[in-house]
Amino acid sequence: MKEVGLEHLDDLALGSVFLATGGGGDPHVPKLIAQEAIKKYGPVRIIHPDTLADDAYVVPVGSVGAPTVSLELLPSIDDAARTLEAFENHTGRKIDAVASFEIGGGNSLIPLVAAAGRNIPVIDGDGMGRALPEAQMMSYAIAGVKPTPAIAYDYAGNTASFDVTTTQVYERHIRAYSMAAGGMVTVAEHPMTGAQLKQSVITGTLGFSIELGKTLRENRGQADTLLKPLQSVFKNSIYGECRMIFTGKVIDKSTRIIGGYDIGEATIETFSGKGDNLTVNIKNEYLLAKLGDSVMVSVPDLITIVDFETGTPINAERLRYGQRVCVFATPCPKFYRTQAALKVVAPRCFGFNFDYIPLD
Amino acid sequence: MRIGIDVGGTHTDAVILDGDTIISATKALTSADVVSGITAALDNLLKDGGVSQDKIETVMIGTTQFTNAIVQRREISPVAAIRIGLPSGRGMPPMVDWPEDIKTAMGDHVYMIHGGYLYDGYPVADINKDEIDELIKDLIKKNINNIAIASAFSPMNAEPEKMVRDQIKKAIPDANITLSYNFGRLGLMERENAAILNTALLPFANKVVSSFLKALSNRGLNCPAYISQNDGTLMSADFVRAYPALTFASGPTNSLRGAYKLTGLQDAIVVDIGGTTSDIGVLQGGFPRESNVIIEVGGVRTNFRMPDIMAVGLGGGSLVLKEGRTVGPQSVGHKLVTKGMIFGGSTLTATDIVAASGEISIGDSNKVKSIPKTTIQTATKTMHNILDQNIEMMKPGGKDMPVILVGGGAVLVTQGLKAASTLHRPENAGVANAIGAAIAQIGAEAERMVSYRDTPRADAITMVTNAATDRAAKAGANVQSIKSVDIEEIAIPYMDEGATRLRVKVIGDLDLRGTS
Repeated sequence: MKEVGLEHLDDLALGSVFLATGGGGDPHVPKLIAQEAIKKYGPVRIIHPDTLADDAYVVPVGSVGAPTVSLELLPSIDDAARTLEAFENHTGRKIDAVASFEIGGGNSLIPLVAAAGRNIPVIDGDGMGRALPEAQMMSYAIAGVKPTPAIAYDYAGNTASFDVTTTQVYERHIRAYSMAAGGMVTVAEHPMTGAQLKQSVITGTLGFSIELGKTLRENRGQADTLLKPLQSVFKNSIYGECRMIFTGKVIDKSTRIIGGYDIGEATIETFSGKGDNLTVNIKNEYLLAKLGDSVMVSVPDLITIVDFETGTPINAERLRYGQRVCVFATPCPKFYRTQAALKVVAPRCFGFNFDYIPLD
Repeated sequence: MRIGIDVGGTHTDAVILDGDTIISATKALTSADVVSGITAALDNLLKDGGVSQDKIETVMIGTTQFTNAIVQRREISPVAAIRIGLPSGRGMPPMVDWPEDIKTAMGDHVYMIHGGYLYDGYPVADINKDEIDELIKDLIKKNINNIAIASAFSPMNAEPEKMVRDQIKKAIPDANITLSYNFGRLGLMERENAAILNTALLPFANKVVSSFLKALSNRGLNCPAYISQNDGTLMSADFVRAYPALTFASGPTNSLRGAYKLTGLQDAIVVDIGGTTSDIGVLQGGFPRESNVIIEVGGVRTNFRMPDIMAVGLGGGSLVLKEGRTVGPQSVGHKLVTKGMIFGGSTLTATDIVAASGEISIGDSNKVKSIPKTTIQTATKTMHNILDQNIEMMKPGGKDMPVILVGGGAVLVTQGLKAASTLHRPENAGVANAIGAAIAQIGAEAERMVSYRDTPRADAITMVTNAATDRAAKAGANVQSIKSVDIEEIAIPYMDEGATRLRVKVIGDLDLRGTS
């Protein structure tokens, strides 16, 4: 895949919701922004990480904040490009390419808006292979890339620069800043060289998300007929084998906003009402799926809930009582099964009292 | 006694109810001018029922006129869409994701100005007086009277919307203005879309409501008239002149409410089998269960709540293929009466299977003699399986539930349904919508921001419930009958623990004393 044009955006948005495992926010507004940006500036070139020069300067860009805020505080078409501009002014370095924080949800589209506005390419890959709630969970950070210099840009064009020691500290600071700046900011952070990117990026996820979205669109319909096409698209990917673990209806869902996160759980019962219920724990994303008392799937493996009738993936904030759903599980990319990654993304990092149980 | 009327796209149905008893029911064609269709229905109704006008205490009308207008892009007036939210949202104007044809029908008059609020109550930007003056000048120059206004976080703070409305009203006294906060809920673009659609219908709403009232007064019905809204409660007919969009979902809602009235079953599955689809909905406590997915009306995303309806591709006109192993989703639809075998056509349909099985007698049974017995058996099984499976999926919590069958295709069910605890086929199911309209109640809502630290939760709920009860009583509800049906508590993010948006919805029976 050489470039992303208008014709790819619907598929990218759809695929990104599947990979977002319930989080990442509704990509509808980011998709509209990307549409307007590509209409104005033209399609965006895609670079595979392997073909990038080792001394190239790459900067990941995306939004940080509470997804519910972006329902009211709409982004602007030039926010992302101006964030890069501010970054270049602050560091005195020219950016050669942008990368994505996470392929899951709206942040799969923001780098395209930035790249279109600055006429630079975007990397085919991201820093999570899914969506995860905190910056230190990004593969860039796990591989040792420093979080700063970083620039945050708010709805009114105010900027803040950051110079901190670790990504954990950076995460606390950027959250606090985001809340002070209306609840949602555009950020350029974790700058790195081409050589560093090759060590830390989850490769190929931008192109894959478009393929996945195309599969979901072409096979729209009852979710149990989706498994075969899904398995064949996942077969040639960095992910493991996609499987269907449950179908039923949501009989309970409760979340509360605690410290800027949607935290809670959903209970799904089989259509016949027989057998154990499936419980899904939520912290922005679907993190655990338990059948009765036994854990079936745990973070960082992917849990995706789709609408039973259409196969459309459902974000955690849209999951509701009475909805008829189908639950898919997919092993995460190998990078996230390494010791270094599990140190920051295993179930214990989210306050659950047990270890990661990998899907085989 | 009361009259319920359902003004649909093709048919106008009407019923007279005396308490719970159906006195008479009728079906007429909807006329282009609406008036003569209603007048014809009323004539039949009053004559058949032998009821004189002065016995009628109130008339309730349900209508899909406004939904159809949006879907068919007709009767749409030019609208100015004003969004207060700059500097956020630059390059993302109102209607940016609308289908071109409807955007064009409204003239694509879009304005963005500074202002609005953030989640924490801090202003997005100061209001700029010059911007508002410019905007008003342009409205006057373009001679635009229908105006929709939306601002960021207006469900929390609607001041900017009200302020801009007041300024416009000063300059253009006859302007028709919709403020987005009246359509509740967070989601600026969806709320703004609802306000714009509503505004585009205002002139048409005026015309339709006047037609309704004229048709009633033509027949000497000078009692109060109400129109049913999305949640099955009533608004006064005059209120609809300002809020026609609140009727968008009233069709399916009235159908479900009618099924409830016809059977008395508060918790049940309702299956409305038509020519092409079976629409399955759920009654909970006598009201439709609502869906929470984003609802598109005519290709426009809105924040309306609609009944949770699952449309399954099985109806009287469904094609029967593969010796009966497949029935639907393809259908001959309304051409059943020419294409179906029982009517002399050559297409094997679901209706032909039922006719051939001898369970019902329609048409000429000789015409379906050639259908093999095994095909009849297989197809019958297939149809029942489709319904059983889909009903199972709609049932809340896998509980045993009765099933109510309505619609012309209900004859397809010949063997009973495994998914149903009991099966009901009410008489008069053909006018379920009109009955649903006739039994609609008065609803009212109240909402406050409360802190459970300062006001204990129980006291806060009582306070807000009382406010809603007052409103319902003022709107015409019998005070004794008012009860709360929904309490929604939304913790306000990032604020003190305990800060909550509390919304209470109450309903009550229409107070008929003193209105006859």
